[in-house]
Amino acid sequence: MNIAEYIASGHLEAYMLGALSETEVAEVLSMAAMYPEVAAELREMETVMERFALSLAKLPPATLEDKIWGRLPAAQGNIASETASVKRSNTIPFQPQYRKPAAWKYAAVVAGLGGSIALNAVLWMRNEHKNDDIAALTTKIKSAEQDQKIIAAVLNDYKKNKAMMSDTAMQTIVMHTVQPGHPMAATLYWSKTKGEAYVSADGLPTPPAGMQYQLWVMQNGKPVDMGVLPIDLAGTPGMQKVSKLVTDGQAFAISLEKQGGSISPTMQNIYVMGKVS
Amino acid sequence: MPDTEVLYNEEQLVLLLRQGSREGFNYLYRQYGAVLYGVINKIVYDEQSAEDVLQDAFVKIWNNIAQYDAAKGRLYTWMINIARNSAIDKLRSKGEIMKAKIQTGDEVVNNVQTGRKTELVTDAIGLHNMVAGLKRDYEVIVTLAYFKGYTLDEISKTLEIPLGTVKTRMRAAMQQLREIFDK
Repeated sequence: MNIAEYIASGHLEAYMLGALSETEVAEVLSMAAMYPEVAAELREMETVMERFALSLAKLPPATLEDKIWGRLPAAQGNIASETASVKRSNTIPFQPQYRKPAAWKYAAVVAGLGGSIALNAVLWMRNEHKNDDIAALTTKIKSAEQDQKIIAAVLNDYKKNKAMMSDTAMQTIVMHTVQPGHPMAATLYWSKTKGEAYVSADGLPTPPAGMQYQLWVMQNGKPVDMGVLPIDLAGTPGMQKVSKLVTDGQAFAISLEKQGGSISPTMQNIYVMGKVS
Repeated sequence: MPDTEVLYNEEQLVLLLRQGSREGFNYLYRQYGAVLYGVINKIVYDEQSAEDVLQDAFVKIWNNIAQYDAAKGRLYTWMINIARNSAIDKLRSKGEIMKAKIQTGDEVVNNVQTGRKTELVTDAIGLHNMVAGLKRDYEVIVTLAYFKGYTLDEISKTLEIPLGTVKTRMRAAMQQLREIFDK
């Protein structure tokens, strides 16, 4: 069966509507990892189903939010607070994740959290003899500080990505799985003229202990070492700048090697590969 | 205090949730609570059950966020499916399995030709008007799969139509949904 027939069969719709068994679901996901047109079809359907779900939206009772927070395991011991910094909106946003937040919004969050910490400090001083309050506020400050760290990291990533993406010479090379039955993927962004490359290993499994992923570029049929990827890069949306300059190549591949990397790739351990178009 | 309505993308929200952040939870609830509640309400009808299921769904999202895999689909879809499956589980645990009703319907209309089956099932279990704008043949299939948790095989048996036809109709249904919601 060719891919067009597979897409037209209605099997992907059955997947989207939740009518497939676990085995069949795994099959669909591996097809999506192997064939970009299958993945694209699924993405389109996802959007349709999300809009359908959105059309059913109904506001839950306001009291539920705190009730649920109280039931969350990691939240145990957290004091349900007034969280004045959080504005509750009664509007149902349309496709919130399609909106790309501007950089200033992140800056506003960082600033806002800073303000929140300052306010907490004032409150803390006013209530210094109330031990319970102190404990609660300390927790809040810690949580706010942690949020701030995350958001600062996100802002930093965002700035980096923006600079990178605005480079018009940058091309995207999606590396697809070469291991049948194992849906995997990784992405390489390459500015050939500058020789700079960035790699994202979102779709790779965490490497087993003692092993590490290694990036290769194929130059005239020969694999050339482009360095090992940080162990914690796999499976996360993060991006890593490739340490070596790469000015030439026809394809990129990632293989699983012993920690520290190998001189040449272990052929049966090549996980993903993508041609330069 | 600035009154900023912050927007996170899915990647950032996942990061916040994995940190167990209250800000992450609040955002999650504000942005997705109504959609998840709407989907749940379509499956379990009474308000109290729907509220219980919404609570369960959020707890599951919170506990399983580490397992969410962006390669398999968007966070939004993942959450909708958790809510949907929680509601379908509730439906089954309450002994409200619609299949039972269909079985009864079967006995009554034993000799009716198969072409009318969709009509009968639709009427017997009250699937009508579940998905506004869809042709009746498609509506019943979408509803059985998406809101009742039927597999392809179960739909094929229930409606007495071949598996291939179920899939063809699913494709046509999605096409129609696309026309309705792609605006």
